[in-house]
Amino acid sequence: MTKRKKKTAAKRKKAAKPVTRRWAGKIWRFGLLLFGVFLGLLVPWVIYLNYQVTTEFEGRKWDLPSHVFARALDLYPGALLPVGDLEMELKAAGYRSSDQVSRPGQYRVSGSNVEIFRRSFRFHDVDEKASRFRVRVSGGKVAGVTALPGGQALDLARIEPAEIAAIYPLQKEDRSLVKVADVPPLLITGLQAVEDRNFKHHPGIDLRGILRAALANLKAGRAVQGGSTLTQQLVKNYFLTHDRTVARKFNEAIMALLLEAHYDKSQILEAYINEVFLGQQGAYAVHGFGQGSLYYFDQPLQRLEPNQVALLIGLVKGASYYNPRRHPERALARRNQVLAAFAETGLLSKAEAEREASRGLGVTEKPRSRGTRYHAFVDLVRRQLAQIYREDDLKTEGLRIFTTLAPSVQEKAQAAATRGLLQLEKRGMPATLQTAMVVADVSTGEVQALVGDRYPGRAGFNRAIHARRQIGSVIKPLVYLLALEHSERYSLVSRIEDEPLTLKQPNGSNWSPANYGGKSHGEVSLLEALTRSYNQATVRLGLQLGVNNLINRIQQLGVVAEIDAVPSIFLGAVELTPLEVTQIYQSIAAGGYSVPLRSVIAVQTANGDELVRYPLRMMPQPHREAISVLNYALTQVVEQGTASALPGLLGKAGSVAGKTGTTNDRRDSWFVGYTRNHVAVTWVGKDDNSPAGVTGSNAAMQLWGGLFRQLPYEPVDLRMPDGAYWLWVDSQSGYLTGKGCDRAIQIPFIDGSEPKQSTACFAAQEEDEESFWKKLFGKKKK
Amino acid sequence: MKNHSGKNCLARRKNRLVLAMRAVNTLLTIALVAFLSACATSTTTVPSTDREVDSRVREPAKEDSAGVQVFPLQNPAVKELLADAGTAESAGDFGQAATLLERALRIQPRDPEILQSLAEVQLQMKDYEQALNFATRSYDIGPRVGEICSRNWRTISVSREHLGHHTESVKAEQKATACMNTKPRGL
Repeated sequence: MTKRKKKTAAKRKKAAKPVTRRWAGKIWRFGLLLFGVFLGLLVPWVIYLNYQVTTEFEGRKWDLPSHVFARALDLYPGALLPVGDLEMELKAAGYRSSDQVSRPGQYRVSGSNVEIFRRSFRFHDVDEKASRFRVRVSGGKVAGVTALPGGQALDLARIEPAEIAAIYPLQKEDRSLVKVADVPPLLITGLQAVEDRNFKHHPGIDLRGILRAALANLKAGRAVQGGSTLTQQLVKNYFLTHDRTVARKFNEAIMALLLEAHYDKSQILEAYINEVFLGQQGAYAVHGFGQGSLYYFDQPLQRLEPNQVALLIGLVKGASYYNPRRHPERALARRNQVLAAFAETGLLSKAEAEREASRGLGVTEKPRSRGTRYHAFVDLVRRQLAQIYREDDLKTEGLRIFTTLAPSVQEKAQAAATRGLLQLEKRGMPATLQTAMVVADVSTGEVQALVGDRYPGRAGFNRAIHARRQIGSVIKPLVYLLALEHSERYSLVSRIEDEPLTLKQPNGSNWSPANYGGKSHGEVSLLEALTRSYNQATVRLGLQLGVNNLINRIQQLGVVAEIDAVPSIFLGAVELTPLEVTQIYQSIAAGGYSVPLRSVIAVQTANGDELVRYPLRMMPQPHREAISVLNYALTQVVEQGTASALPGLLGKAGSVAGKTGTTNDRRDSWFVGYTRNHVAVTWVGKDDNSPAGVTGSNAAMQLWGGLFRQLPYEPVDLRMPDGAYWLWVDSQSGYLTGKGCDRAIQIPFIDGSEPKQSTACFAAQEEDEESFWKKLFGKKKK
Repeated sequence: MKNHSGKNCLARRKNRLVLAMRAVNTLLTIALVAFLSACATSTTTVPSTDREVDSRVREPAKEDSAGVQVFPLQNPAVKELLADAGTAESAGDFGQAATLLERALRIQPRDPEILQSLAEVQLQMKDYEQALNFATRSYDIGPRVGEICSRNWRTISVSREHLGHHTESVKAEQKATACMNTKPRGL
């Protein structure tokens, strides 16, 4: 029975077994299936992740923003540079005033001496090391430059250029790439000590690290340590997802393993050092220790002290939480934790670590500005570069662009524009006035400043480059130039009628130009007609010369815009931009040597290799002697013509040349003017081109004067070239006369254009001169 | 009131002191040229060198002027840059030489020596049009007499020759030899 029982039990058991077995088999098979599916998915998934992570790593050509630099400031005995201007330049270049000039980037002004610690810099021509020197200024000029210490006199020194803009990639990340070899050893070892002690040995993930972190977290009851390796953190940074899901952790771990399988430790470390997120400057993310060092300390990474290295490493844990500018106490505590870890791992001795921990954060008050002040000028830079670069290259290749901007001139120009328009408003002019200004170097055509809006830093419509407006009387000098070029017919003393006239226009209508003020002046000299800007005389003269000849001449002077052949062109019925007007007047100010206006002089690769240079090129204009005579006439516009209020605005006399311009219904106000070294154009008007109540002298000239009152300059060069010379003439009749005779003035003439008649006083002096030569050589001079 | 022919007036009406100084200067230089180089410069044989700028501009200009140089005072910074540019030029690095000369020009925009040096660098870079333009500018604002005047015209001559303007080139060379005995005008 028992046997049977047993049997039945066994039977039952036997019967029961297949059921569980069946289930187990099912589960087993299901598991196998799942595993198969998992494997089937995992393998392609890993392959996919592998593809992702390797392309990211290898194809990781960091998009580097291009850096745009101002011109470097040359310091030499004789340079026109008041102390205030020098300080303005130093500040623009990110220098800081300090009682102790002990580090590059610091300066100190004491009276007329300025001590400067110049940073090392790769200029567009050569590398220069950091150096300290003292500049002595006297009477608005550099009197001497001496090296420190030592006091050796220097003939020439220069300040590295201000960075005026960076042209950013779309991702808005800022980087300054560094190589592992250039990174301070403490940063490399310290980083591992704090973030990943087992970095050298783990295969990408660190199980012991995870365990240690888990234990520490358990002990503390909250998450105090992360077990992520540097490799995992790098992967996390690459793919920029910060969700804390298991799936992400899983992917991260796989990718870390894959990275380690493909690349060696130093490659991974270098990528990490350049990738890690260290802060946020406005819209731009600060990535990498190189950029972090510049951002927080304004120093290259190589020059950081141990406590600064510790702070940067501390920021890896949370750049915004430990932001040393916003939360200095947190940052200090974190830094000192890191220093303690340095001591614990033997990177620093205990004493060293304590000493470093007692120091301040050493962070600069503000990061170096990104120079929004220079929008308008940078527009011009982009325009010049667009001729050879795609916008994409500018944003990603890390180019170093060396420009011609003079920060102190730019600052003064913008201030003159902003302040000038406010003053005009106080005098009852509309608040909607706008302005544009261009300042260029006469001889080199280098644009030193550009103002495109009355409000500093406002980007948008750039009037200096894009506002195309009628130029009014600013065209007149070209009419007179054309006349002077016909020296057999005209000189500055030639007579012309300033009387009413009526012309039939090409469209059939009649045109009767009137003078400003409505008065006609009868017969006047060309000089008077130009300096007082008489319309009727100018139109008469223009008609004698021909509309088409004038258009040709304007084009010869560098204007490419199309111009309608109508007589009203003699009074400036032609639309040009302030930049185009500057180009015309550069040629005139330089005595007939046209130089294409430039804003860029050289472009380098990120490594400092020269890509392009824009050399100085000049084109001689025909009839340069006529241009020189015109230069004189334009100084008379300022001395006694429509711009005679200018010397009062400048606060000093001295030959400045210029011309006012006003258009119909007072819509536009222009002033073009130049000294020996600067040519500058200002425009004032309304954006909608409606009447604005402005004239050349009541608006644009006020702004021009406001600028040049602040600008060191030298008088216009009035030396005549071959083919032109100075003669004494009677200011009323225009006859030749003698020096010291009544109404005698000196005027330049082109060979062959001199007056044929002379005064009695002249004849008397002739006699004296004959006897002078007799005395000197004992015979009559032929 | 008298009538005069223009030219006649001009010769007489200039500043007397300048005229007198210039007359003395001209006489002296004529004497020097006559004394030091008995045979005229146009017939002097110049030792030939590899470089056109030396053989056809600098050396004959030195001969022309017999060592008389009329340079305005130079800023020491400019001197330093000119020397550096000279070194770069000798090493055949014309781009660097031009960069240094342009830097010098920013310091002294109207220095005929810098402009002429740039012209000579451009001559070696075979940019004859710019060489011509810079040499012309240097002459326009320079002393128009002495060694630099001769270098100006010789550069102009060589450039014009390369540009295919042969008659103009010959004329320029004649101007070079006249740099020591023609009184400049309009200063």
